[in-house]
Amino acid sequence: MAKSTIIPFGPQHPVLPEPLHLDLVVDDERVVEAVPQIGFIHRGLEKLTETRDYNQFIYVAERICGICAFGHSMGYAETIEKLMEVQIPERAEYIRVILHELSRVHSHILWMGLAADAFGYESLFMHCWRLRERVLDVFEMTTGGRVIFSDVCVGGVNRDLTPEMQKKMLDVLNGLKDEYATLCNAFLNDSSVKSRLVGVGYISQESAFAQGMVGPFARASNVNNDVRCYGNGAYGKLSDFQPILDTDGDCYARVKVRALEVLQSIDIIEELLRTIPDGEIAIKVKGSPKPGAQASNTLEQPRGECYYYAKSNGTKYLERMRMRTPTSMNLAGMTTALAGCELADVNMIVLTIDPCISCTER
Amino acid sequence: MGSFKLGGMTLKSLFSKPETIMYPVQERYKPEGLKGHIAIDVETCILCGICQKTCPTGSIVVDKAGEEWRIDRFSCVQCGACWRACPKDSLTMENTYTTPSTSKFIDTFEVHPKKPERKAAAETSEAAAAPKKPVMSIEEQRAAMEAKIANMDPEKAAKVRANFEAKIAKLQASE
Amino acid sequence: MPLQTKFIDYTIDDITRVKEEKLADGWRAVQILCTNCDDGLEIVYTYTKGDVMENYIVHGVTKDDVIPSISDAFIGMFVFENEAHDLFGANIQGIAIDFGGKFYDLAMPEPMTVISAEKQAAKEKAAKVAAAKAAAEAKRAAATDAAKDEKPSIEEQRAAFEAKIANLDPEKAAKMRAAFEAKLAKLAKEGE
Repeated sequence: MAKSTIIPFGPQHPVLPEPLHLDLVVDDERVVEAVPQIGFIHRGLEKLTETRDYNQFIYVAERICGICAFGHSMGYAETIEKLMEVQIPERAEYIRVILHELSRVHSHILWMGLAADAFGYESLFMHCWRLRERVLDVFEMTTGGRVIFSDVCVGGVNRDLTPEMQKKMLDVLNGLKDEYATLCNAFLNDSSVKSRLVGVGYISQESAFAQGMVGPFARASNVNNDVRCYGNGAYGKLSDFQPILDTDGDCYARVKVRALEVLQSIDIIEELLRTIPDGEIAIKVKGSPKPGAQASNTLEQPRGECYYYAKSNGTKYLERMRMRTPTSMNLAGMTTALAGCELADVNMIVLTIDPCISCTER
Repeated sequence: MGSFKLGGMTLKSLFSKPETIMYPVQERYKPEGLKGHIAIDVETCILCGICQKTCPTGSIVVDKAGEEWRIDRFSCVQCGACWRACPKDSLTMENTYTTPSTSKFIDTFEVHPKKPERKAAAETSEAAAAPKKPVMSIEEQRAAMEAKIANMDPEKAAKVRANFEAKIAKLQASE
Repeated sequence: MPLQTKFIDYTIDDITRVKEEKLADGWRAVQILCTNCDDGLEIVYTYTKGDVMENYIVHGVTKDDVIPSISDAFIGMFVFENEAHDLFGANIQGIAIDFGGKFYDLAMPEPMTVISAEKQAAKEKAAKVAAAKAAAEAKRAAATDAAKDEKPSIEEQRAAFEAKIANLDPEKAAKMRAAFEAKLAKLAKEGE
């Protein structure tokens, strides 16, 4: 019987993309328990509602996270529209969902690259990020920014998608498909990748539900927490939406769910671009929300369900703005997945929850 | 075996043009609507100050008295809020990025807003009328004031009257 | 079918009961959030099942109140309970993974309960507007009364005036006071 040791892991570690600290209790090479700790980059963004009015806060909201920037500004704007009881034009809803799905494409491809890096497949990582660059180019063309878009405003969107932009977007996505299929083939059929992923960090369906896991992490364990199913905004206009689920609950299943979600997102974009209605892209929102009004809203971010809550005090400055980001729900699931794994698999498992600690702490 | 196809892709990229560019030598293609930096047309700007109010980072300062429009490009986040809010469309978003610098500075633009014709005319006539005012005797002034406040509610009228009396008292004292 | 959100008020005593109901019924805990209000913290517990989302709100929680943890049933909530403790100072007992105030590595304790100068100013401004409204209301009432009764004495007038200008900024108040004194002096002269 070996003596158990505690290994501090992070917040700065070559394989961790984000400042997360783990205390790993190890017994030889096996992890017995993992205790996560965050709090290294708390920025107090929620407190900034006191000095930024609800129109200005949108630029703060999208800086919560660099990867789901569009999602955060969209979720925030939807919450404020709910708070002020405003109905935005249909075209704006379509544009929002199209760009949000596009950011899911780039987020998942980025994540797949990081995962490839984590299991040591360097060339796969390079190819993933090369493809992601094309998606970023589409963003640059449509919104004018590569990471932070500032395209959503309370009441709609700032920039229209012109027919040329739509055509270019479709061209890029179609051109992506071939190369993406090759990447997926490498991820899902390669024996060396499989040997690193299959059976690692297993979470059962019951356990995943009990821990309230969200996003692709939960969907890989056959728990459907996809809030896109409720059809908020233009998601309700889709002819058919079936969330991608997998029953295996291991790292391989999580890669598979994300790989398929990219294709699903491309399908959603294509369908919405075919049916996008003409009309206004924004309405003017004036005045302040009623004192004491509250609104809550959810949005499916690339990493999972994100919860927004806003409370007004009758002025242009919100009393409280809250974003509950997906990673904070997945931390509990991560500790369960880590218990009992090999020390060498820790970085792989931490990555498969797609942690975004800057989101979590805000 | 997934790796064979991927190996083919990797091999192909060995012999094709690189995806990256030699940055400082070669400039990247800049799309039309790229958010590079904010530019101002000093000819049309009226120094209304709306851009200063909308700016979420507080990087724009409109100095009405000094007739200057200042922007701190190091704290500007290119959100474009000022550009969309501008009532005269004097702000534009250029698609070129600002250049790096070794020290921070603030860009200052001199703006001399043209005064509307009518307002200018009114000012001159006012200036002409102004010297006449003191000629009015105190009694006349009081009468004018009383006429003015006749329709006001009594409370406010009393207040105005008090102010007026105080002013007169002060004037007399200074004489 | 879009997501339906509900806001339901409840008390600290109900937290454990609702938790057990939701657990037995197959609901999922979404999050816990705190708001710093004048009468203490406001804590919102969110549960969801299907397309229904229910927000249970506890009002006026002070630092002396002991809040039972729900993380024994919903383990994922340990993040938010630690957060509520570290950032807001809520006294939550029995958290499944309790960091004892060390979950967030902060330079100062309970940063979200600090009332910033901007917020204080905004609050004061709102209070002033409310006070001015009330004063205007009172004055109107007083004016109608005064019309019936005799004229109030100088002392009374002065007191009313001081009350009126109490909430104004000092410069303006000084100006108004001068005007008022002038008026009184004139009145006194006329009286003589």
